[in-house]
Amino acid sequence: MNLSYTEEQVMLREQIQKFCETEYDFYKREDVVKSDKDFDENAWSLFAEQGWLSMPFSEESGGFGFGPIELSVLFEEFGKSLVIEPYLANVVLAGTVLDKSNFSKKVELIEAICSGSMHVSLAFAEPANSYDYFKSNTNISDDNKLNGTKSLVLNGKNASKLIVSCIKNDSLSLVLVDQDANGVSFNSFRTVDEQTCAEFIFENVSVEDSDIIASGDEAKKLLEEAINLATLCVSAEAVGCMTSCYLKTVQYTKEREQFDQPISNFQVLQHRMVDMFIDSELAKSLLYKAMLEVDSNSDEKFKHVSALKAHVGKFGKLSAQNAVQLHGGMGVSEEMMIGHYLKKMVAIDAMFGNADHHLKAFSK
Amino acid sequence: MDINFSKEDLQFRDELREWLANDYPKHVKDKMNKGEHLTRQDMVDYHKALSAKGWMGYNWPVEYGGTGWSATQLYLFNKEFGLAGCPPLLAFGVSMVAPVIYTFGNDEQKKRFLPDILDFNTWWCQGYSEPGSGSDLASLKTKAVKDGDHYIVNGSKTWTTLAQNADWIFLLVRTESTGKKQEGISFLLVDMKTPGIEVKPIITIDGDHEVNSVFFTDVKVPAENLVGEEGKGWTYAKFLLAHERFGIAAVGASMRALNKLKEVVSALNNSDLDKKVAEMEIAISALEMTELRLLSELENGGHPGAESSILKIKGTEIQQGLTEIFVEAAGEYALMYPGAGGYGSNDKPSGPEHAAVSLERFLNFRKTSIYGGSNEIQKNIISKFVLGV
Repeated sequence: MNLSYTEEQVMLREQIQKFCETEYDFYKREDVVKSDKDFDENAWSLFAEQGWLSMPFSEESGGFGFGPIELSVLFEEFGKSLVIEPYLANVVLAGTVLDKSNFSKKVELIEAICSGSMHVSLAFAEPANSYDYFKSNTNISDDNKLNGTKSLVLNGKNASKLIVSCIKNDSLSLVLVDQDANGVSFNSFRTVDEQTCAEFIFENVSVEDSDIIASGDEAKKLLEEAINLATLCVSAEAVGCMTSCYLKTVQYTKEREQFDQPISNFQVLQHRMVDMFIDSELAKSLLYKAMLEVDSNSDEKFKHVSALKAHVGKFGKLSAQNAVQLHGGMGVSEEMMIGHYLKKMVAIDAMFGNADHHLKAFSK
Repeated sequence: MDINFSKEDLQFRDELREWLANDYPKHVKDKMNKGEHLTRQDMVDYHKALSAKGWMGYNWPVEYGGTGWSATQLYLFNKEFGLAGCPPLLAFGVSMVAPVIYTFGNDEQKKRFLPDILDFNTWWCQGYSEPGSGSDLASLKTKAVKDGDHYIVNGSKTWTTLAQNADWIFLLVRTESTGKKQEGISFLLVDMKTPGIEVKPIITIDGDHEVNSVFFTDVKVPAENLVGEEGKGWTYAKFLLAHERFGIAAVGASMRALNKLKEVVSALNNSDLDKKVAEMEIAISALEMTELRLLSELENGGHPGAESSILKIKGTEIQQGLTEIFVEAAGEYALMYPGAGGYGSNDKPSGPEHAAVSLERFLNFRKTSIYGGSNEIQKNIISKFVLGV
C-alpha cells in the first residue's frame, strides 16, 4: 500500500500550479469573463503546447495515455484557480468518448482536439430527462433525419462538431453532427461559474450512417464511462476549491482586524475553519478512493465516484458558504475571488447529478 | 499509487483472522454479539488469550516483549478486531503506562511492571482528570509531598474508567505548587490496595458503572514508584496522550456497526433512514481513506502531526451518528431503556432485538467526543498546529 503520487504526477502538478500562479490570476480571468470571449485563446494554445489537451488519450490516438489520477491532479489545480477553459467539454467528455470508440474518423478528430484547433462537445442531456442520461427523446428516423432537443451542452457555442446521444432503431446511439449543418440551431448561455453551455435544437438534420460513432450497449458504455470520468474530474475540481476556500479564509482572518485584533483569534471562527479543513481533507480522501477505483476499472468505480460527488456536492457548498461568511461583506463582493468559489460549487453540484442523486446512486 | 496491501501484510491479516475464528474466547464473543456486558473475568480471559498468542504487546518494541509490528500491521490488527466485534483492548496498561515505563522508567521498574502487563496479571487504571481539571489537565491539584522514602498523596481523581477492577493506578500528581503549573507535575505508580484509597462509582446516563471517583487520603507511596524525574510528569503525560491516538478512528468497529444497521434499516422501507445510512457509509469510507493516507505517509517516513486529530473527531462523530440512527430505527421501541438497574434489568425487552441495546449505546457513546481530549480541544489543536491561527 502506497498512496503517494509518483514523481511524474508531482511534476505535472507543479507544472499546472506554475501556470495557474503566473499566467492565470483572477483579474486576468475576469477580463476574459467580461469580454465577448468564452475563454482565453492564448491559454488554450498553451494547454495544447504543454500537452495537457492530449493527456488522457491512448498512445494510438496520439495521446499520453494518462489516467484518472493525472486528470484529477489537473482538475484539482484548475479548481484552486477557477479555470474556465473548456477542458472538460473537449477532452474529458467528447474526447474520451471518441478515444474509446471504434469510430473510423476518431484519430483525426482527437488530433484536432489535442492541437486545440477544433472544439467538440458532447450533447447528452435533455430537458425532459433530468439526470437520466441514457433516456433520450432525440431520435434518428428511418430516413436518417435527426430530431430533438439537447440541453446544457457545455461549450456548445464554440464546438464545430457535436456528439449527440439519440435513439436509432430503438437503441441508444452516438452520432457526430456539424454545428453548422442544416437544421441545427442553438441558444448559448453563460453558466453561474462563468462557462458557457448551449441548448441545441435538431430539426430534420441529415445524418450519414458513417457518422454513427457507436450504438447499443457500446454507446451506453461510452457515455457512461465518459460521464463517470467527468464526474470524477469536476469532483476533483471541487476538492481544489475546498482547499482554496479554507486556505484563503485562514489568510484573510489573520489579516482582518476588528476589536483591535486579528479576527482569527476568535475561537468560533477557528473552529469553523477547522470544520472547513476537515471536510476538505475527507473530500480529498474520497477523491483518492474514487480515482483509484476508476484507475483499476473496478466494479465499484461508479459507486465510489457517487460517494465523492455526494460529499463534495454537500460539503463543497458548505465550505464555500463558510468562506463567504468569514470574509464578511468582502465575501459577497463580485470583485473578490472568494464568492466565485461558491458559484463554482453550486455549478459542480448541479452537474452530472447533484448530492441527493448520487447518494441514491451510491446506496443502490 | 497502490491501495493494495503487500503479500506479507495480507498473510498477517489471515493470521489475525485465524485467531479471531479459532482462539477468540467463545463466551466473550457470544456476549459481544448479543450486546451484553462483560464481567471482569471475561475481560481477563480475553486479554490473557491475547497474551498467550504473544499479541498483548501489540504496539511495543520487541526488546520489551512486544510484537514490533509496523504501522500497517497495527492498522490491520485494529481494523480486523473491530470488524470481528471484539471489545476494545484495555489501553491503560499496555498502551498507556507501559510506554511511559519503558521509555522513562528505570530498569527496576521495567522488570517489575512490564511482564505483568504483558501477561495481563495486573489491571491498570488512569488517574489523570480531577473534579476541577478536565481539558485544563495541567491545573490538577492532587498533591504528593515527599516524606523520607515515601510520597504522601492527598486529593481526588475522577472519571477513572474501571477503577473498581484495577490493581494499580498511574497518577499525575502535583509535587511543586510554585512556578509554571506544567512544571510541578510528577508521574506516580500506586497500588490500589494501599490504605487511604477509596473508589466510589459514578453511574453514567446509560445506567452503567464504568467510571469512578477515586479519593486519596494520606496515601503512602514508596518513592521508588516515581517514574522518571520529579516535575517531568507533564512531558510523560503528553507522550502518553500521543500513544492514546492509536486506533481512535475505530474504522473496523464502525464498519461492523454499519453492516448491522444496514440489515436493520433495509427491512424498514424508510427512505429517510436509507439516506442517513448512505451518508454514514460515505463518511466511514472517507475516514478509512484518511487513516490510510496517514498510514502511507508514516510508512514512507513522514510524520503526520495534528492531522491525526481528524481521526478522533470524525471517528467519534461517526460512532455516535451510528448509535443515533439505531435509536431512530428502533422507533417506539427506543423507549425500552434498560432501566435504573442497569443492563438486563428489563429481562425481556419487547420489540426487535436490535432495539434492546440501542438507547443504552446511544447514551454510552456520548463519552467518545468527550474523552481522549474532547473534540473541541482537538479542533483547537488543528487550529493551532495545522491552520496556524
